[in-house]
Amino acid sequence: MALVEFADFSFKYLGADSLALRKVSASVNEGEYVVITGPSGCGKTTLCRTANGLVPHFHRGYIAGNVFIDGQNTRDATVAKLASTVGLVFQNPANQLVTLNVEKELAFGPENLGVVPEEVRQRVEEIIDLLNLEHLREKHPHEMSGGEQQRVAMGATLALKPKVLVADEPTSNLDPRSAELILDIIANLNKRNGMTVILVEHRLDLVAKDASRIILMDKGQIIADGIPRDVLSMDISSEIGVGIPKATQVYKRLQAKGIELSRVPLTGEELALLVGEAKRR
Amino acid sequence: MMSFLEVFQYTRQDSAVHNLDPRSKMMLAFTLAVISLLFLNIIPLMIILMAMLPLLAAAKSLRRWARSMKGMSYLLLFIIIFNTLLSTVSNPFSHSIALAIRLLALMTSFSIFFLTVHPDQLAQALIQMRVRFEFAFAMSMAMRYVPTLGQEAYAIMDAQKARGVELDKGNVLKRIRNIVPIIVPLIIVSIRRALSVAESMESRGFGASENRTYMELLRFRRRDWAVLFVSILLLVGSIYTRLFVTLPIWMLFQLPF
Ligand SMILES: Nc1ncnc2c1ncn2[C@@H]1O[C@H](COP(=O)(O)OP(=O)(O)OP(=O)(O)O)[C@@H](O)[C@H]1O
Ligand SMILES: [Mg+2]
Repeated sequence: MALVEFADFSFKYLGADSLALRKVSASVNEGEYVVITGPSGCGKTTLCRTANGLVPHFHRGYIAGNVFIDGQNTRDATVAKLASTVGLVFQNPANQLVTLNVEKELAFGPENLGVVPEEVRQRVEEIIDLLNLEHLREKHPHEMSGGEQQRVAMGATLALKPKVLVADEPTSNLDPRSAELILDIIANLNKRNGMTVILVEHRLDLVAKDASRIILMDKGQIIADGIPRDVLSMDISSEIGVGIPKATQVYKRLQAKGIELSRVPLTGEELALLVGEAKRR
Repeated sequence: MMSFLEVFQYTRQDSAVHNLDPRSKMMLAFTLAVISLLFLNIIPLMIILMAMLPLLAAAKSLRRWARSMKGMSYLLLFIIIFNTLLSTVSNPFSHSIALAIRLLALMTSFSIFFLTVHPDQLAQALIQMRVRFEFAFAMSMAMRYVPTLGQEAYAIMDAQKARGVELDKGNVLKRIRNIVPIIVPLIIVSIRRALSVAESMESRGFGASENRTYMELLRFRRRDWAVLFVSILLLVGSIYTRLFVTLPIWMLFQLPF
């Protein structure tokens, strides 16, 4: 069975008039890097909450279908029990930092789960190394920039040693440079450490090249699911208005004018290469 | 104006007092406060106050303390004048002076604790004194979000001013009414934030395990035992003195009016 498996899952928040998720079916295997995108209100955040049991245990509502995380049905497992399998990073960094310094923040999760003190210390040091947090060690959340806060928030989640990292628009409150840094860290976690990643992101030009799959959502449904080149070149992607990389847009215009490139480019460099190739032909 | 409250605010320092266990400091501060409450004569209270100065010096906070006390001088003056005028005891001025010194001594004893104990350490001390983790953590979270709330209040004030709400105009009643467009959004924003914070904490296993661990436990060292022992000795000694010993005349000295 896949690491994350949505089986015909539907969800309606208590008090809402429409379904936030309708019959969502998808699975994510170990080592994948899945990017979820789609217009505002299409249910991306709800999907993330579903992955670690916040839906239906924290956000109540009506559910149909099942979600299996590493073989456990989220209907039965508590959020706390899923915490060491699925790590969730949220949009607003300030709301994820609940202690008075970085060390405490990183230790918070493992301590909650009852990890022995020596190992908590060891994990904290590992994360500080991995995410370059040494200079922030003693800092109060208020003494850090948004980008630094988000890095710490991600570290605090990674300290739980989850099998899947789920990040819900972790960069939307950040300036472009901090955003790139965070996305680089995520891509590296996937590449070097083999971490399974599910990332909600609008700036596809920054992530499409690293992602192994893109899931496109609209009105609570998955409307496209496949490798980035396929999904981004579909007509439906431009119809619902997702942030298609410039290079891919150029590809589509060239195609409309009868110039066929050998594959779909995702970055400027790739596009230049392909155009050069086409010219020589 | 409120600068005297600085003596209750933690300052990061590397000093012998800072490095003591918060629990021994708690006992020390408690003892000093009780002793200040036991006596109401100028000389004994002065002795207590003076005895605390070396402690502040050891905490490298003497200057901060002095500055705050200067900030408090108006309040003290006020207390002395009013007490002298309204008091019914035989030597009202002398009595008022003693009261003022007692207030100083009380504040100083608590400041020795709060100046040198980080809120995190205080929370940890409470936990190790069998206070439930949730309560101790709530306290440290309050410290965490006070500045955030302040920022939010300013942002809302700016937004309302931009929309033409005149916050600092009019008489007292009008000004009080003006608080409403600040408070209401602030409450709504805070509730939303609280939900989002709770979501994040839940996702990291808050309240999951009955046997939560702590990366670092506070440890009582020999010097902490020494402080504890001395504090208890002082406490018992002064209670005994107060109840069963008649103080020598010079200690009972009063100003003549
Ligand atoms: N706590 C809630 N209670 C009730 N309805 C909710 C709640 N959270 C979200 N919804 C509704 O569920 C639907 C999906 O919301 P969701 O937050 O999952 O969208 P999203 O894709 O994350 O949007 P965005 O890009 O704006 O973050 C929306 O119609 C929203 O109004
Ligand atoms: Mg969202």
